[in-house]
Formats: sequence, C-alpha cells, structure tokens
Amino acid sequence: MADKRKKSTRRNPATNKAAAPGAGTNKPRIARVAKGKRPQYFSDPAIDKLLWMTVSLMEELSVTRDRLDAVERLLERKKTLRRGEVENYAPDAASAAERDSRRAAFIDRVMRVVQAELEEISREDMPRSSEEVVAAVAS
Amino acid sequence: MALAGFKRHAALPRLDHDEQARQAFVRQFRGHLSARVMPGNYRAYERRAAPRFLASEGRPPRDHRDVRRVMEQDGYYQFWSALQRRSQELMWDAVIDPVERQHGALNAYANRQHPRGSLRLDPDLALPRYQTTVDIHLQPGGYHSESTAGDAAAGAFYDQALYIYSNGATGACNDAMGELLLKFYREYFRAALPSRLLEMGCGIGNSLLPWAAAFPGCETHGIDIGAPVLRYGHARAAALDATVHFSQQNAERTDFAAGSFDLVISHLLLHETSRTAMPRIMAECHRLLRPGGVMLHLEIPRGDTPVEQFFYNWEVFNNSETFAQFLTGIDLAPFAVAAGFDASRTRVVRYARPRTAGQHLYGETFFWNILVATR
Repeated sequence: MADKRKKSTRRNPATNKAAAPGAGTNKPRIARVAKGKRPQYFSDPAIDKLLWMTVSLMEELSVTRDRLDAVERLLERKKTLRRGEVENYAPDAASAAERDSRRAAFIDRVMRVVQAELEEISREDMPRSSEEVVAAVAS
Repeated sequence: MALAGFKRHAALPRLDHDEQARQAFVRQFRGHLSARVMPGNYRAYERRAAPRFLASEGRPPRDHRDVRRVMEQDGYYQFWSALQRRSQELMWDAVIDPVERQHGALNAYANRQHPRGSLRLDPDLALPRYQTTVDIHLQPGGYHSESTAGDAAAGAFYDQALYIYSNGATGACNDAMGELLLKFYREYFRAALPSRLLEMGCGIGNSLLPWAAAFPGCETHGIDIGAPVLRYGHARAAALDATVHFSQQNAERTDFAAGSFDLVISHLLLHETSRTAMPRIMAECHRLLRPGGVMLHLEIPRGDTPVEQFFYNWEVFNNSETFAQFLTGIDLAPFAVAAGFDASRTRVVRYARPRTAGQHLYGETFFWNILVATR
C-alpha cells in the first residue's frame, strides 16, 4: 500500500523530521548511516564493532599511504626535503588546528558503528520488527 | 582526479586526493572479496557445512533455508559476510564525502536550466512503503531523501557508488546494463524503431541514456519516485548530451495515456518493489503499450541451486534488499501473463556477459534474466 503521508521535501534524514522553513543557515546534514537494523555477524556484538573499526583502519592507512606516496614523489622531484626535517617538524597554530579537525573526522569515521547504534535506538521511525520490514514488501 | 576507468562529467563532484584514494581502496577491497574470499564460501559449504547438515539431519540441504541454517554457523561465511557488509557501508561513506564537500555547487548545477530534455517533479507524490521502510542497498536516505531544497545529492551518491559496487562492471558511464538490454532488444526485435519509450525506475537515468542515443528520433521518458535522483539525472543527461524527459511518478500508476508507448523497460527495478506493486507495475506496462509494443525487464538471477539461492539472497538480509527474496525460485513470466500479456509472446531469457572474478560478487558465474513480452 502506498504511504498515505504527503512527502515533505525538507525532511532531515538524520532525524526524519522536516526541516523548519527558512532553516538554511546551517549546512544541510547528510545522513551517513542507512536506515534499517544492522545484522549481527558474530556471537558478541563487540566483535562486530571491532571488525567495523579494523576495516576502517585498513582504509585510513591505505589512504594515508597513497598521500604519503604523492608527497614523497613530489619532494623527490623537487629535491626540497632533507633528512631529519620531518622528525623536527612542529606545526604552527593553523596547521595544528587543521590536524585536529582531520583527526576528529578520522575518529568519527572509525567510531561510526557506535554512533550507528545510538541512532538506531534513538530514531522514532524504525520498523519495530523484521516482520514489519517484510510486510512492507509483501503487501 | 577521478576513479580509474570512470568517466567524469559535469554533474559529478570532483574528487580530491584522499577521496579518490578512499574510493580506490573500497573498490579494490570489494574486488578482493569477490575474487579471493567469496569463492571460499562455496568450498566451505561443499566440504564442511553440507556434510555437517547431512550428518545431523540425515539428508542433504533441500533449499536455501536449509543452506542458511548451516552456513550461518560457519566461521568462514560469518567473516566474509561481515566484511562484505562492511565494504558496502564503506562504499557509501566514500561517495558521500566529495558530495558533502561540494554540496552547494553540485545542487546549483543540478538546478540550472538545462537545454535538453525536461524534469517534472511532484512534491505530493506519496512515497511507497517499500522504498521508505529501510534504506535499500544501504544507501543512506535511499533514492528519495533530501537534506535541503532542490537536493540532488542522492543521485550523485548513486552515480559514483554503482561503479564501485560493481567493480567497474557497470561501465565507464554506468551504462553497461542499458547497453546490454539494448543489445538484446536489437537481436530479438531487429528492425524495431520505437518512437516513444519509457524506463520505469530510471533513477539517475544511467541505463536509459544508451537507449536515447540508439534511437535519436525517439521521445525518451524516465520515471522514478525519488526527486533528488531525477534532478541529478536531468543534469547528468545534459552533461552527457542526452535528451531525456524525467518525471517523478510511481510505476504502479502513471499519468501517461493508455497505449502511448512502443517500448517500456526497466533495469533492476522489480526486486526493489513489493508483492502488491509488482503486479500493478506489470498491469501498468500493459496499459501503456500500444498493440505490438514491447515490455522488457532486466533482473539479476536469484540462483538455480539451493546454495546459489542462499548467496544471491545475501543482499536480502545484509543489504536491505528485502523484496528480492520473494523473487527467488519463481518464474517472472506468469506475472506478465496475469497482467494481460499473451503467454505465447512472453518469456524469460537468460543473457550472459562475461565478468572478471573480481566482479562476480555472489556466484561463480554471472548472467542476467530478461523478462520480455509483446503486447
């Protein structure tokens, strides 16, 4: 059966509430976690979380290695970096702030499974059971 | 910078260094799972799980439910399953990053006046429950959610993700499925030149563009329930020099006149609908086609053996593709016949295109199912 509620075009997917008209001053919040119950793959939910984080760390390391590779090759090409300079490097205030922000995003990404559980238990429009999910397509 | 082999166009976000590196990791991780880890599931089944089932039940597994009972206890399967799920989540994360960074500019481009085709949205369209209850294929927000007015982000997510999901099998412009169904159509209906064609569930229009290009004199329409994917699709078609008329409609009942199309098609729509919707969609196809018109629905296989069916159903339980399980082991042809198509002019054809081991995903081979019927 089609959902009889009218669709609001300004629904905030994170809370599933419609954004207030004129609420354009804040950046629109894009949902990062899919709606639906995440299956449990292992005997202990903590293992699922650990695997989430581990694979995220794999990804972060891969991205960092690619970046470092780019930097090293460019430096070699330009012959600008000497030994010991990286070891003694101290970021200025602006660089330190950027690092903090990047680190926060990194932690957010790796820890998102914990956030996912929080969202799952906080959201009000979750299907209440797997039967309800199946009923949505079986009718 | 773009992901290797993926064709850039003006509607897509640009990727900075790390975004490209992240997407490249996810793509290769999925390729690794497909080629190097997934096949072990079949070995684990044959050598451990099936013998264990036989020993405890006194008979071999009879159907995919039996397979599920025993495979879910297998450590190899559990780990692959958790990693496969993770790879899908990483994929969405990796495609959302560049869109989020350039959201304003992306939406500005999408909402421009584009010289080709048209876009007709319906803010009052009721969204079907089978699209809103959970986020299909774990796409956060699905095809329909908008975080701001005039949002096209969902389309940009999908356009990037599809290429990564398929490890490049969907082609540089994500048009491989459209090209495949078009090839089938040309082989089976040699001289046909449709003057008006409709794709149901067109999403961003990636499968529709080859059709528009193949039949330049044809009035090409695409419908979907999701406003943001249609907005994006309209901009994307213009960026790729294609003329398509997009409208926000539900394929169960459109506002097009009866008998007004020569051809009605879909690519991977049916398994994302519902038990009630699918017959209605078939009936609507029948209503929309002129006598002699052709209906084509491209679908993924659901497996022939119990173990294949179990693996093709992985996405039902782990990727929020809930309806797909109801298409397991059933013949699609009777649905067309029930909608009024003649049984003698309706069939399901198996159509293959070779893929690499890194693109197989769930089976040890791959082919497509095409439901074809003539009005």
